[in-house]
Amino acid sequence: MSEPEKKNLAASNDEASFLSRRQFFVKLGAGSLAITGAGATVFAVQYLSPNVLYEPSPIVGVGRPEHFPIDSVTLDPRAAIFVVHAQKGFYAMSSVCTHLGCLTVWRQDEGIIACPCHGSTFRPDGKVIGGPAPRPLQWLKMWIGNDGNLMVDRSANIASESEYVQL
Amino acid sequence: MQKSLAAPTGTAIRNPIQALARWRDEFKEIFSARVRERQLGFRYTWYLGALTLGTFSIQLITGLLLMLYYHPSIPQGYADMKDLHFVVSSGVFLRNLHRWSAHAMVFLVFAHMAKVFYRGAYRPPRELNWVVGVCLLLLTLLASYTGYLLPWDQLSYWGTTVGSSIISSTPFIGEKLRFILLGGHTVNANALLRFYVLHVVILPLAVILLVAIHLWRLHKDGGMYVEHEKNVEKR
Amino acid sequence: MTSDPKAPHEIALPQPIEEEKSIPYWEMLFRETIAIELLASVLVWIALWWNAPLELLADPQQTPKLAKAPWYFTGLQELLHYFPPFVAGIILPTLIVVALVVVPFFNVNIKDENLWVHHKSQRLAILGIVLAALTVLLIRFDAWDALLPVWLIAIFMGIAAANEGRRDRGFRRWLSSKPLSFWIMTWFLMEAVVLTSVGTFFRGPGWSWIWPW
Repeated sequence: MSEPEKKNLAASNDEASFLSRRQFFVKLGAGSLAITGAGATVFAVQYLSPNVLYEPSPIVGVGRPEHFPIDSVTLDPRAAIFVVHAQKGFYAMSSVCTHLGCLTVWRQDEGIIACPCHGSTFRPDGKVIGGPAPRPLQWLKMWIGNDGNLMVDRSANIASESEYVQL
Repeated sequence: MQKSLAAPTGTAIRNPIQALARWRDEFKEIFSARVRERQLGFRYTWYLGALTLGTFSIQLITGLLLMLYYHPSIPQGYADMKDLHFVVSSGVFLRNLHRWSAHAMVFLVFAHMAKVFYRGAYRPPRELNWVVGVCLLLLTLLASYTGYLLPWDQLSYWGTTVGSSIISSTPFIGEKLRFILLGGHTVNANALLRFYVLHVVILPLAVILLVAIHLWRLHKDGGMYVEHEKNVEKR
Repeated sequence: MTSDPKAPHEIALPQPIEEEKSIPYWEMLFRETIAIELLASVLVWIALWWNAPLELLADPQQTPKLAKAPWYFTGLQELLHYFPPFVAGIILPTLIVVALVVVPFFNVNIKDENLWVHHKSQRLAILGIVLAALTVLLIRFDAWDALLPVWLIAIFMGIAAANEGRRDRGFRRWLSSKPLSFWIMTWFLMEAVVLTSVGTFFRGPGWSWIWPW
């Protein structure tokens, strides 16, 4: 290899290392920006999610079992739940429509539960009869409290027809 | 091609229009000195863009005035609506105007988009402006949606409940997104405050910014679109 | 941007403006101001006579019998009645927005070429397949009102195809000269109008079908 060629090689090596240094800093900068962006996103999501909510307790008492005659469906609008006394026993369902969150109502004369927003209809056991609702109404954990009242935990979902409360 | 419409510097300004024309140099990034008559023909644009801007101006003015009597809290927000209707002088008029002008704005934005589409006015070099226009359409709908909650009446509450439930139908992140948007599991005081901030600050600012870009690009791309001609810039 | 008379792209083009009347910009502002003022006076008139709706205080314990969105969302509500929320509320709106955004970036939209001028039989076959698929899909979800614009547009597209190559200046010639983007946008707008009208005028309590009269 002749002298000039060596020089050229050295020069191009220098250039290559210069470029890679530049590339290194570009990558460093872009990487720092990405990390900052990701961190800011995490902080933003945390900040936007309240840690304490002043929402009512999920556990509600719905009244004494004697108030619900057999084969009756009773809407408790305050708690947004249905209390049903069927042949097999008592159970509770959320009255929140599984479609888009409207509150369903019990239609005594037709014997169905109906949603006023988009026309979903349900049987008293929560099964969908018609309309756009994707799932049956949500069954909720129910028990008899120490004071003899029926209690419902609205945050405790249970499978449909899995539990009945017997007196 | 640049023609100065203003009186030559140093001569007296004879009428208000000349005074305006001298100002024009300050605004030459937005207005061309002269426009072709065809660009202004009613049948080409139906003036839909200008009218949309007009309704948006009405929204800004009436909205600012309504803010003086509105508290974004429960149930005070609803009481303020009743006050606007029955106590505040001209309150009901301002609220009506804000509401009907919002409806007009949504309609005009859609009509403007359809008109621009059928004239082919989205063609290069106007692609960017078309995209800005689509963003403005979305912002208009979002502004309507967030404003809908503020009166805190039955329609507001249930409309927002349904709308936010749609978000939670997104797989995996839906529930979290809805929680962040509402600031809670249900539509409540946090949701009202968040929608209020979106409605009166964030969305209007975004609209103003995009409208500015929209008008600037309109000018840069040769003013209002004229069919079947090369778009030469004329100043 | 600035009007350098030597800008090369201006030299090459033939006489664009001189024959045409041009008017000063304040005339444009003047006309637009008049238009805005007319609209504003109409809106003021409406606001003086019709009150904005205000229902009872929000009650989280009772959904009203009929919770109808303002008219620009009743089309969406109508879709929600037929399709799962994720499809009607997220996927379809996203697809529409994406479709709108990409409009100016497709060559087919820019060339403005008559849909039926090339590959006519092939394109008719595709139209047939799309029509059949949409029909089956919409009937599967009982969305009869959404089916109406599909068939209307398909019929007009058929008429356009049958009249391809006409040289007279009538309606059928006009139809036959339209590009694909025209048909898609017109279909979208017709769906929007039909669904919005049905949602606004033909839906009663529980989103059941009612007659507006």
